[in-house]
Amino acid sequence: MRRLGFFRLLQQAALAAALAVGLVLPAQAQVQPQLSGNDLVAATLLAEPAVIRGGEPFWVGVRLRMAEHWHTYWRNPGDSGLATEIRWTLPPGFTAGPVVWPVPERIPIAHLVNYGYEGEILLLTQITPPAEMPSQIALKADVNWLVCQKECIPGEATLDLPLAAGNGGANPATAAAFATARQSLAQLSPWSARMETTPDGYVLHVAVPGLRADRIHSAAFLPHQEAMIEHAAAQPMQVDADRLTLTLKRGSFAAAGLPQQTGGLLVLTEDTGGTQQRQAFEFTEIAYGAAAPMMATADWTAILQAVVLAMLGGMLLNLMPCVFPVLSIKILALVGHAGTGRVQMRRHGMAYTLGILLSFGALAGLLLGLRAAGAQIGWGFQLQMPLVIAVLAYLLFAMGLSLSGVFHIGGSFAGIGEGLAQRGGYQGSFFTGILAAVVATPCTAPFMGAATGFALTQPAAIGIAIFLALGFGLALPFLVLTFVPQLADRLPRPGIWMERVKQALAFPLYATVAWLIWVLSQQVGQQGLLVAMLGLVLVAAAAWSFSLQGRAAAVSAAALLLVAGGALYGTARDAAVPGAPVAQVSANGQTVEAFSRQKLDSLLAQQQPVFVNMTAAWCITCMVNERTALSSERVQQAFRDRNIVYMKGDWTNQDPDITRVLEQNGRSGVPLYLFYAGGQSVVLPQILTPAIVLEHLDLLDRVGSRGQQQKSASLSNPTRSVQP
Amino acid sequence: MILSRRILLSAAAIGAAGLLAIPQLGFAANVQVGQPAPVFTAKDSNGKTVSLADLKGKTVVLEWSNHDCPFVRKHYSGNNMQALQKKWTAQNVVWLTIVSSPVGEQGYVTPDQANKLTTDRGAAPSAVLLDPKSQIARAYGAQVTPHMYVIDKTGKLAYAGGIDDKPSTRIDDLATAKNFVDVALSELAQGKAVSTATSRPYGCTVKYDTTS
Repeated sequence: MRRLGFFRLLQQAALAAALAVGLVLPAQAQVQPQLSGNDLVAATLLAEPAVIRGGEPFWVGVRLRMAEHWHTYWRNPGDSGLATEIRWTLPPGFTAGPVVWPVPERIPIAHLVNYGYEGEILLLTQITPPAEMPSQIALKADVNWLVCQKECIPGEATLDLPLAAGNGGANPATAAAFATARQSLAQLSPWSARMETTPDGYVLHVAVPGLRADRIHSAAFLPHQEAMIEHAAAQPMQVDADRLTLTLKRGSFAAAGLPQQTGGLLVLTEDTGGTQQRQAFEFTEIAYGAAAPMMATADWTAILQAVVLAMLGGMLLNLMPCVFPVLSIKILALVGHAGTGRVQMRRHGMAYTLGILLSFGALAGLLLGLRAAGAQIGWGFQLQMPLVIAVLAYLLFAMGLSLSGVFHIGGSFAGIGEGLAQRGGYQGSFFTGILAAVVATPCTAPFMGAATGFALTQPAAIGIAIFLALGFGLALPFLVLTFVPQLADRLPRPGIWMERVKQALAFPLYATVAWLIWVLSQQVGQQGLLVAMLGLVLVAAAAWSFSLQGRAAAVSAAALLLVAGGALYGTARDAAVPGAPVAQVSANGQTVEAFSRQKLDSLLAQQQPVFVNMTAAWCITCMVNERTALSSERVQQAFRDRNIVYMKGDWTNQDPDITRVLEQNGRSGVPLYLFYAGGQSVVLPQILTPAIVLEHLDLLDRVGSRGQQQKSASLSNPTRSVQP
Repeated sequence: MILSRRILLSAAAIGAAGLLAIPQLGFAANVQVGQPAPVFTAKDSNGKTVSLADLKGKTVVLEWSNHDCPFVRKHYSGNNMQALQKKWTAQNVVWLTIVSSPVGEQGYVTPDQANKLTTDRGAAPSAVLLDPKSQIARAYGAQVTPHMYVIDKTGKLAYAGGIDDKPSTRIDDLATAKNFVDVALSELAQGKAVSTATSRPYGCTVKYDTTS
């Protein structure tokens, strides 16, 4: 009984409390509306320059500081609310651009969703003055807003901004505010998009290749049009190799006849190891349309162009130090057997071509497959593995030794010499093709960055086609020679000179080996390097042993190779990355910062202009650019004069951060040069001269001062991390 | 220890996500123009029971209201809403003003307060319905105040959306705005199809009752 009484007491207490709350709350609710919208939002008008110049557009901003927990709205307020409105009263001849809105927050209220801002925002507008104007002018903005927490209160302000006209001049007092505001803008999407209409709504297709689904925490589309979608509905996301799709529910108030174009923001939240990074991409116009293959991202002429370029590049590869000896040996063999039947010659040519195409196809397939599986790799990835470098060095060294006459490789393996004469020697030509493709890899990555980069941004079929074109170009000279007997007939008669040429050709191979060992030295510790070099000695010993006739010689050659293999394993295991370099001052006094995402972000947040150089030890183009352009006194002087931080990203070894930056800019390999200034960035060409570099530094300076919102497809949201 | 903490955290996260998902389920209002309007029965500010089913044969206007919402204030301070109410109730249209704010939320009124507001504002609705549990709002998917619905004589929804094409809190805008409700009612009166059957509703969020 006592217990029951206690419960009753409790019940009564609860009832009393509920009543009290019920009585107190309405009273409060009635007090609230006494607040005015102007108590909750402080509005100010700011100009970026201290002094403006005739004819030169400049930026102004309406700053709204909201009281804690209160929000104002984006251009599309969502299910309720109202976008902030700015009406300008300007002196004669002045024009104002549209408001450039910061990326809004999604604000859920009950089962509805609003888009808006808490805290502080700066609504940017570009003003263009006339060429001639008085020395003192004044801008006037009538600002209307609706500020809401749960209840909504309108507010308004008339803001005046006196400005001095003259020769222009920065305003240190407002610089930080404008810099922060630019960071909160969306960046223009580097990807194309299409809005497919479905019975229930839409499917937004964004042609963004290589997103890692497991890293995307969430994705949301915020349309510019208010009634277009059901804002609160979930937007199921799907990510595959070349696109991201979001399924959107049609808004119940979407008018029947939608405009031909729509636009909006794609807001991606990415998991970057424990923290979540948000980034927004703006689509100014998205065409409505039925589902169509997304392949249309690159039109057929562009693809054809890439294929032809790849083929030309492949032909050029024949002249590279790593490939030239192989091709020459093939041609020498042709010379030595000029009497061989036409049909056999053609077949050899085809077998060789087939070998090359298969190797290139396999390599491209492997690369695309690994990328589809989510690996952050690009072309040249094979050279990021010390093991591959070491194997290539051994292989080329062995070939060099063979050319030097240390030992003789049988026709069955490389097709050198007699293989061609024999009717059954086609596999020799086939393997030579494979060999040519394999030895060509150290040259393709450094020189073919642009073509392979394009290939990787395309759907798999096109990507593979481009790689095959590259291989076909590589095979073409020999193929032509075997198909056009008149050409083969014009080759010089065989003689002792052939032996001399062969021996001479060993040296480009040795040079390639030297270069590969140098690359290896960047990837492995000193211990690993020593082991790899000892492996080279073992390869030489094996070659020598192999040349001695007899069973014992063969056995010892095999044993030596086995030990060399062990050395390879040692090299790979010792792939200790040398300690990450910090800022270093090189011999000629240039300061180089090592690239890191964080470092770049913080520099950009401080409005620091930054030049980023993405490079790798195995990238010849990069080395040449550095030597001739970036390290030149003119460029270094310009960096110092303009207070530009020179940052270097080393992609010699795998680095997902760098890979992501490369992909952001449509590249799959180095080199990549980026210049950031004034909240914008520009991508430089792959071949640099001092003049080109300086020109680009100027370009951004000009654009920067005009403050156009011309953002590149790169990480122009400095405080936010790059999306993959 | 660490592992079990992680499991606990995940469980908590899943639980939180589930909790967030639940309230969403209750609001799958599927109200479409051209389809029968959801029927409802509610008490008005004078204690009378009003049922939509009984109003068949009459054109009915639903007006969601919250007297402290600046958008609602605009239409009452500018005498726009009252004028519409007078014009159309005179032509045998039933005008129902619905207040869906629960106790303690902005816009909530007791029956007496509702009647006083009607008198003070010179309003002329056929009835003011009190919906403190937000049931009617939920059935119609009302988002904002003022959110307007027009139901034709056959009980089908003829218009749903904003009151006009000038989403603002400025009284000055009333003069130049195109009033969608007035147009829809005129067209229905002439036996024509409603030209603009939906528009974007604008205003303050309806303060839903979240306890039931």
